[in-house]
Amino acid sequence: MIVGGLVAFLVAQGQLEATLDALLGVLVVVAGLALILGPWLWRLWRDLESERRALIVSQERADVAAHLHDSVLQTLALIQKHANDPREVVRLARSQERDLRGWLYDDLADDASLFAAALKKAAAEVEDAHGIPVDVVTVGDTAIDERTRALLKAAREAAVNAAKHSGADKVDIFAEVEGEEVELFVRDRGAGFDPESVPDDRLGVRRSIIGRMERHGGSAEIRSTPSEGTEVRLSTRRPR
Amino acid sequence: MTESEAAEPRMITVVLVDDHAMFRTGVRAELGSSVDVVGEAADTQEAVRVVLETRPDVVLLDVHLPGGGGAEVLRHVLPAAQDVKFLALSVSDAAEDVIGTIRAGARGYVTKSITGEDLVAAIKRVADGDAVFSPRLAGFVLDAFAGSEPPSVDDDLDRLTQREREVLRLIARGYAYKEIAKELFISVKTVETHVSAVLRKLQLSNRYELTRWATDRRLV
Repeated sequence: MIVGGLVAFLVAQGQLEATLDALLGVLVVVAGLALILGPWLWRLWRDLESERRALIVSQERADVAAHLHDSVLQTLALIQKHANDPREVVRLARSQERDLRGWLYDDLADDASLFAAALKKAAAEVEDAHGIPVDVVTVGDTAIDERTRALLKAAREAAVNAAKHSGADKVDIFAEVEGEEVELFVRDRGAGFDPESVPDDRLGVRRSIIGRMERHGGSAEIRSTPSEGTEVRLSTRRPR
Repeated sequence: MTESEAAEPRMITVVLVDDHAMFRTGVRAELGSSVDVVGEAADTQEAVRVVLETRPDVVLLDVHLPGGGGAEVLRHVLPAAQDVKFLALSVSDAAEDVIGTIRAGARGYVTKSITGEDLVAAIKRVADGDAVFSPRLAGFVLDAFAGSEPPSVDDDLDRLTQREREVLRLIARGYAYKEIAKELFISVKTVETHVSAVLRKLQLSNRYELTRWATDRRLV
């Protein structure tokens, strides 16, 4: 509109032609300058760009080196120190493996506000505290509310029980969010026990697992066969 | 394939493909005399050459390899030697690695933390033409086939049967095939049949989740 107005104004003034000539002159000068300076500007820009990229790469490398130093090298040093304590060596290796995996593959998994991530975190804590691998497989995910929080705590207690008492060399946890239900299984292939005759000093099972689930509207079932292992099945309603 | 009916079963032949010599040595030691390791390879090209030369029953295949990776090996070997079975072995838990390798043609997937005894069992199972799923792979498959039905509902490849789901859930819970059979009151052979059916669906289904994982790994 402005250009149109200008043109109309110039036509009215009878100066359109002169202005066009001047414009053409300016254009030629600009084109000439572009031809002369263009390649130089382009090179300059490219150099800057590659410098910037090199800087990013070197910063990334420094970050990687720093992380490896803080984590892997420290752990390797600790492992050498504990060489004659197999349990501690396993614990250190597992916890380092987990850390490195999380760092390499899923930086997003830190968000423990969702069920699956919180479960993995709880399993990692049990692993660290008891020096036995706790493998977690999850299908689907959900929010954490009062019910699912109770489920997480009961699952953790079940894993701790397995780690402390079963004598198994690992614990498997499987959780599935499907439809309106969250279902979770904690399994070990350890010594097993008779659920009917849980000694009184092991209130964990009754109070922390069954009681907790029932108080929060869920359910818990324990299947155990002496010398074959134990499986704790927990289920609750999925948060709306 | 003509299995000899001789009383003494022939030893299963295996090729190890992994870029870490230390890991190959470790696996070789763990396998001991239960299988016959006929070759080793450290990268994609070498793997293709060694496998085609030795024609083993089973290839233990690392997912990440210099020169293209495990899937690349599968793509080169399978058209020329369909009777060679592949068992993927990896440290990675990433879904696209697992699904990608299976869709490229591997008959199973186990993680490197597997015990020697379980590895031998997995090799035998794969050599027999069955499939081997780790708990994590079972979890991924349940995830991929979960949720709403795909638009092409008449395609059976895009769905799991109720029984297949039950079997996968038990695998994800850490059950061995024998324990699954006992739990579901079916034979081990039937469990194997279900798992092989799931493997086939995993390889052939066009479900969005599967094709997406495969596309991410440039596998389609």
